Amino acid sequence: METLVQHLIASGAFGKNASPDMVATIVVFVMSAVVFLGVAFPFAGIVSWAERRVWARIQSRVGPNRVGPQGFLQWLADGVKHVCKEDIIPDESDAPLFKMAPYLVMLAFTLPWAVMPFSSSLILADLNVGILYMTSVTALTVVGVLMAGWASNDKWSLIGGIRSAAQIVSYEIPAGLSIFPVVLMTGTLSMQGIIRAQGWAPQHWFLFANPFTFVAANILYISALAEGNRTPFDLPEAESELVAGFATEYSGMRYLFFFMAEWGNLFIIGAIIATLFLGGWQFPHVTKSVVVMNILQVITFNVKVLFLVFVSMWIRATLPRVRIDQLMTLCWKYFVPISFVNMIGTAVWVAIWPDGNAAMGYIMFAGALALAAVFTQRVIYYLRRSRMEVYFNPTI
Amino acid sequence: MSAVSEYVGNIKDAVTSIFEGMAVTASHFMRKPYTVQYPDRMPVRVQDTLPFRYRGILEVDLEICTGCLACERACPIDCIVIVAEKDPQTRQLLLSQFDIDIAKCMYCGLCSELCPTGSIHHTTEFEGADYSLESLIRRFVKDPVMAYKPKKGPETDSRIAPILNRGMTYLDQWAQPGGEKPAEEEPA
Amino acid sequence: MSTLHTEEMTLNMGPQHPSTHGVLRFVVRADGEVMREAIPDVGYLHRSIEKIAEKVGYHGFMPYTDRVDYVCAMFTNQGWGMACEKLAGIEVPHRGEYCRVIAAEFNRIASHLLSVGAMAMDIGAVTPFTHAIREREMINDLIEELCGARLTFNYMRIGGVAWDLPPGWREKALAYLDHFDPILEEYNALISWNKIYVERLANVGVITPVEAINYNLVGPNLRACGIKWDIRKDIPYSVYPEFEFDVPVGDGHWGKLGDSMDRYVVRIREMAESSKILRQALQKIPGGPVLAKVARNFKPPKGECQIRLESGRGDMGWYVVSDGTGYPWRVHVRTGSFAAMGIIQKLSAGLMIADLVTLIASLDVIAPEIDR
Repeated sequence: METLVQHLIASGAFGKNASPDMVATIVVFVMSAVVFLGVAFPFAGIVSWAERRVWARIQSRVGPNRVGPQGFLQWLADGVKHVCKEDIIPDESDAPLFKMAPYLVMLAFTLPWAVMPFSSSLILADLNVGILYMTSVTALTVVGVLMAGWASNDKWSLIGGIRSAAQIVSYEIPAGLSIFPVVLMTGTLSMQGIIRAQGWAPQHWFLFANPFTFVAANILYISALAEGNRTPFDLPEAESELVAGFATEYSGMRYLFFFMAEWGNLFIIGAIIATLFLGGWQFPHVTKSVVVMNILQVITFNVKVLFLVFVSMWIRATLPRVRIDQLMTLCWKYFVPISFVNMIGTAVWVAIWPDGNAAMGYIMFAGALALAAVFTQRVIYYLRRSRMEVYFNPTI
Repeated sequence: MSAVSEYVGNIKDAVTSIFEGMAVTASHFMRKPYTVQYPDRMPVRVQDTLPFRYRGILEVDLEICTGCLACERACPIDCIVIVAEKDPQTRQLLLSQFDIDIAKCMYCGLCSELCPTGSIHHTTEFEGADYSLESLIRRFVKDPVMAYKPKKGPETDSRIAPILNRGMTYLDQWAQPGGEKPAEEEPA
Repeated sequence: MSTLHTEEMTLNMGPQHPSTHGVLRFVVRADGEVMREAIPDVGYLHRSIEKIAEKVGYHGFMPYTDRVDYVCAMFTNQGWGMACEKLAGIEVPHRGEYCRVIAAEFNRIASHLLSVGAMAMDIGAVTPFTHAIREREMINDLIEELCGARLTFNYMRIGGVAWDLPPGWREKALAYLDHFDPILEEYNALISWNKIYVERLANVGVITPVEAINYNLVGPNLRACGIKWDIRKDIPYSVYPEFEFDVPVGDGHWGKLGDSMDRYVVRIREMAESSKILRQALQKIPGGPVLAKVARNFKPPKGECQIRLESGRGDMGWYVVSDGTGYPWRVHVRTGSFAAMGIIQKLSAGLMIADLVTLIASLDVIAPEIDR
C-alpha cells in the first residue's frame, strides 16, 4: 500500500502541495471504506444466499430462486425486511448493553479485514504481526456474545451466551497452537511474509510441507469453525433447543448483525487457512505487467477462500451438533495435545531441514490426490446406487 | 494400553464416518432436486396431475341428484345441508337448498361413497383459500330444481347422459359398501 | 472440597418450541446445564375425540380415528375397524386383510422415516430430515393414488378397506421398494453411524427392561431394552402369520442396553423389516372382494371388546363398549406415547438440557396421540 501511495504522490495525482501524511491517511480511509462497504458487508449478505442454495441442493430441494436471477437478490430482500421490522427492546433488559452487543460482534468481524492479503500489493496494512492481530481480534466476539446473553434478561439467552463464551475461549488455544508450526517454518508473523515463503504450486504449500502441518491445518480449520459458532459447533444458537440462543430477544436488523458477522467470519476463516497453508495469492509469474499480475493474484486468493467457504457450508449441512461437554472434551483432550505434538514435530523438522524438504511436499501432495480419488469413488458409488436422476447444473 | 487404542479408535471412527457422510452429501449435489416448483414453473397444472381418487373440494352435479339425503346423513361433521320437499302440485321431489360448507368438510369421502348416481363427488381442486368465511359455503342450488329420477334402462336425455356417465364411472372405481367387487388385479 | 452453592433455574420449554414433537410443555429445573427434573405438562392437544365417537356413530367415526395419530393414520383406522368387527363378529375378506397390511406397513415406514428424520434434525443435522421427508413424500404419492389423501387416509372401513388397489399400483409400489432399500443404507452412512451422532445418542436416557415394563412402554421403546415383544408375532392378528419377518431388538452395541441409540437403530431396522413384509404381501395378494357386507345402520350387539395392534408407536389398544344402538357407549384408545411421557420425568435427572431433546425425540412422542 505504501508503494502505491508514494507512486501516486510522485506522479502528482494530488497536486504539488499535498503532504504525504494527509494523502496517505485519506487514501487509507477511502480504501478501508471500499473494502468494508464494498467487499465485507455485501459478502456477508451474499453468503446467506449462497448458503441457502448450497444447502438446498444437498437436501434435494431448490432454495431461493425467485427474487432476482437465480434468487440472487434474496439477501437484499431479507435485509430490507429486517430493517422494516419493529425494534423490540425487552423492558427489563439492560438497554445500553443490549444495543451495544451486536456492534461489538460486528467489530470483531470488520477489524480483520485490515490485514487481508488480497494480492502482493493490495493489503490495507501489512502489519508485521498480521496473523496474531487477526486471531486476537476475532476473539472480541466473546465480549459481544456474552453481553447479548446477559443483557437480554432471558435465561435461555444466558445459557446460549455462556456456552458460546466457553466455546470460543477454549478453541482459541488449538487455533493459536496450530499457527505456530507455520510461524516456525517462516520465522515471521506477517501475512505477506508467510505467503511469500510459499510457492504457487501445491507441493510448495505449507499444507503439504510435512505431515505435522497437514494435521495442524485441519485442527486450525475445525477450531476456527468452532470459534465462528458454525455447525458442528453451533450449540449457542442451537435452533432446536434454545430457539436462537443468545440472539433470542433480538429482532430486526440487530438480529441480522449477529448473523452477518457469522457469515462474514466464514471469509475470514477461509482467508486465514488460505494464507497460512494454501499459498495465499501466489500465482506463477506469467506476465511483467504489475496490474495483470495483481488481478490474477486477487482472483487466486478469492478462489481459494471461496472454496473453503463452500466447504464450511457443506460441513454445516452434513454434520449434527456436538454437545457442550463433548465439545470441551474434543478441545482439551484431543485438539490441544495433538497441537502440542504438531508444534514439537515441526520444530524438530525445521531443525533437521531448515530449508524445507521438497520431496515431502511431493509425497504429501500425491497422498492428498489419492485421498481425493477415494472420495470421488465413494461419491460415484452413492450416485449410482441411488437411482435418482443425475443433474449437474447448479441452476434450476 | 486400551485407553490409547480407544483414543486412536475414536479419531479413526470420527474421520471415516465423517468422510462417508460428506461423500453422501457430495453425491446429492449432482442429483436433481425433488422439488416441484408450484405453481408457475410446472408444465401442467397441478390439479391435472393428481390421481383419480384424490379427495379434493366437493362438487355436486345437480342434474343427477336424486335427493336421497344419504350424503347428508353420512357426513360425520354435518357440513351438508339439503332441503328436499315434495312439491304439493307436481308430487315430485324439489331440491331447494344444497349447501356444502367446505370449511367444515374434512374430505373423508364418506358422502361420495354412498351417492347412488355419483352426483356428489370430489374434484381435484384444493386451492380454496379465500378472504371471507361465507364464501366457503358453496351453495349449489340457484333456483329450486326437481330431483333426478334414475331410469330403468340407459339414460336417454342427451344433456344428462354424459353427466350420469361420469358419475357412474366415478363410483365404479370405488368398491360399493356391502358390494361384491371383483378384484381388478390378477393374483400373482 | 465444599460444593458451591448454586441456584437452581426453573425454565419453561413451552408449548411453542421448535423441537418438541408437537405441543408439549416441560417445566425444567436445571442447575446450569445439568437438569434436576423435567416435568411434562400434557393436554394442549386434547380434542375430545373419544367423546365425539358417542355422537357420530360407528361409520362416521372412521375419519376421526385418523386424527388420533395423524402420522400413523392407517393403524388407527385398522384399530377401529378391528374393534367394531370383533363386536359384531364380521369377518374381513382375505384380500381386504392383505390391503390392510400393505397400507399399514407403508404407513409404518412413513412414520419411522418421520421419526428418525426429526430426531436427526433435533440433534442438529438438517439434511437427513429433508431426505427422510423426500422418501415419505414418495410413499404419500403412492397412498394418494390408493385412497385419495396424503395424511388423514380414511382408507379402511368396518369390514375391510374402502377401495381396491388401482391398476398398475402394485408395480409402482414394488419399484418404490427397490428405490427405498439403497436409500436406507445411504441414510445410515450419512447420519446413523456418524461418530458425532453416535456420541450424542449413546448412553443417553438408558431404560432398563424392568423399568420399561413397569412404566408400560411399548413398541420400539420396549424392544430397544432387549425385550422381544411385538403384537404382530405374539398376539397375531390379520394376516401377519403368513409373512416371514424378524423383530429387531436392541442389543446395547453402541452404549448401554436401552439407550437412545438402541431406540433409533431399532426403528431403522424395523423399516427394513416392513419393506420385507411389503414385498411378500405385494407378491402373494389373492383375488376377491375387499369389503365385507356391513349394514348402513350398523348396530353391534351389546357388549364390549378390546383389541390390540402394533402401530408405529407400539401396542395400540382400542376398547369399545356398545349398548346395542347405532352409537357407541364408550370408546377408549390406549397409545404408546402416553406411557412414554411418564418415564421422561424419571429419566431426566442428571441429563443435560441438550439430552432432554434427544430423549424426547428417541421416545418418538407424538403429541396428538398423548392427548387425543
